[in-house]
Amino acid sequence: MMADDDADDREFVREAFDASGFLGEFRYVEDGGALVDYLLEAKRNPRDPASPMPDLILLDLNMPRVDGYEALKRIKSDVGLRRIPIVVLSTSESESDIEKTYDEGVNSFITKPAGFNELVEMAGRLKKYWLELVKLPNGPAR
Amino acid sequence: MEETENPRAPSLEPERSFGGHAIGDPFRRVVESAPYGMVVSDVAGRIVMVNPEAVKMFGHSAEEFLELRIEDLVPPRFRRGHDGLREGFHRAPESRPMGAGRDLFACRRGGMEFPVEIALTPLDMGDGPFVLSSIVDITRRKRAEEELVRYAKKLERSNAELEGFASIASHDLQEPLRKIRMMGERLVALCEAELGDQGRDYLGRMIRAGDNMHRLIRDLLAFSRVGMRDGGFRRLPLAEPVRDALSTLEMVIEEAGAEIEVDDLPEAEADESQMRQLFQNLIGNALKFRRPGVVPRVTIRGGIIEAEEGGRVRLEVCDNGIGFDEQYHDQIFEIFRRLHGKTEFEGTGIGLAICKKIVERHDGRIHARSLPGEGATFIVELPKQQKASNDQSPSHR
Repeated sequence: MMADDDADDREFVREAFDASGFLGEFRYVEDGGALVDYLLEAKRNPRDPASPMPDLILLDLNMPRVDGYEALKRIKSDVGLRRIPIVVLSTSESESDIEKTYDEGVNSFITKPAGFNELVEMAGRLKKYWLELVKLPNGPAR
Repeated sequence: MEETENPRAPSLEPERSFGGHAIGDPFRRVVESAPYGMVVSDVAGRIVMVNPEAVKMFGHSAEEFLELRIEDLVPPRFRRGHDGLREGFHRAPESRPMGAGRDLFACRRGGMEFPVEIALTPLDMGDGPFVLSSIVDITRRKRAEEELVRYAKKLERSNAELEGFASIASHDLQEPLRKIRMMGERLVALCEAELGDQGRDYLGRMIRAGDNMHRLIRDLLAFSRVGMRDGGFRRLPLAEPVRDALSTLEMVIEEAGAEIEVDDLPEAEADESQMRQLFQNLIGNALKFRRPGVVPRVTIRGGIIEAEEGGRVRLEVCDNGIGFDEQYHDQIFEIFRRLHGKTEFEGTGIGLAICKKIVERHDGRIHARSLPGEGATFIVELPKQQKASNDQSPSHR
């Protein structure tokens, strides 16, 4: 699941995941508020096929209304949501952004690659690592 | 000079007896010719003698002065308690500056205040102590100081704005650029066959121009960030950032088949990440401007210059590359300056400007020695220790 207000970036990332052989479902929202709303809805209705809990969240930082930091803070302080891995995918390279998001409990921080081939490579690695290699807890914390 | 401007000034005749002693001519001449205001007063604060400069400074005639008490020269808002201070002085008379550490003001005829510095000297004339106040009008100096502080603040503000602007601008510029490059790549990947030779050529050039702009913006961002860091100085064996820089440049070194030699390097108080960047740029530069067909050799050495205050360290990055004509010495450290065409050597022309900015932030200096075709040596001198306030703005110094 991706939260990014930039339509072009959403398309690039989706295409990159497609190109990397990702066969799952790719959903997106346009800002942090919509992301948190979606996740809370998914938590309330765990078996509703319309709102499955995502396996991985790709989070942009600079978004209108509820930005990435705020969304990150809310998700990581919610017992039912904080186990979902979150990868920041932002244009930022600033040390303070990196420090701040890790302090808030982000799982990875990636600066958006500048070329499409790099983006495909990134998608492939993310898929391999977070969806195949890593052992994650089964279900939300209680 | 004063005599002509103040015809009454010579009337220095003390109307009160000056402790019963005739004031000798030499003393009178010293007082009269002093370039600052001099006022002699007795224990009760009565003024018994002034010099022409005091007449000029305060606007009272010499005769009028003799009717005044020293308190009349103090602005009304400071007058209360002054007699206590005066008595205190006479209890323990010694030559000293008045109001050390405080701003002092005096009061002209008509009540106008002006900033002054005053030195007090006890004069014991036998039957009664006097005090000689030497007064300097520091209006101009104060004004210059205030002007300087104002200017420094303005400069600081505009520097901060400029750096903030460069940082934000380059950040926001990256966004659309990233998309242009990405779209270009997609176009190549998906529609290459339909483009035709000319279309592919144009697109290729467009993408290369985009890559170039990306590097420019990235380097500009790095340049603007040098000044935006605060703190980060620590005692650092300079061999560490050199080792890190070499490991970052590993691929380039291998590709160039270069021989790198690192001598013993001293320690200095420095910002580690900026030192890493400094060496990376200098060594990278040495490798880039190599002579075709010659094995590139880069030597990094360092030493200590004890002679200078607090001690300085000297670092040299020496290569056997193409060198440069020293008449371009200052240009190579300017941002966006390049001595070579972009097809000969790629680069943005920011690398050495970043080096200069880093070195200057450390209160050091950088220069280079070279002859065309005979390699170049870049010399960096840094203080061994940073001044405590080195990282603060001028107004805090």
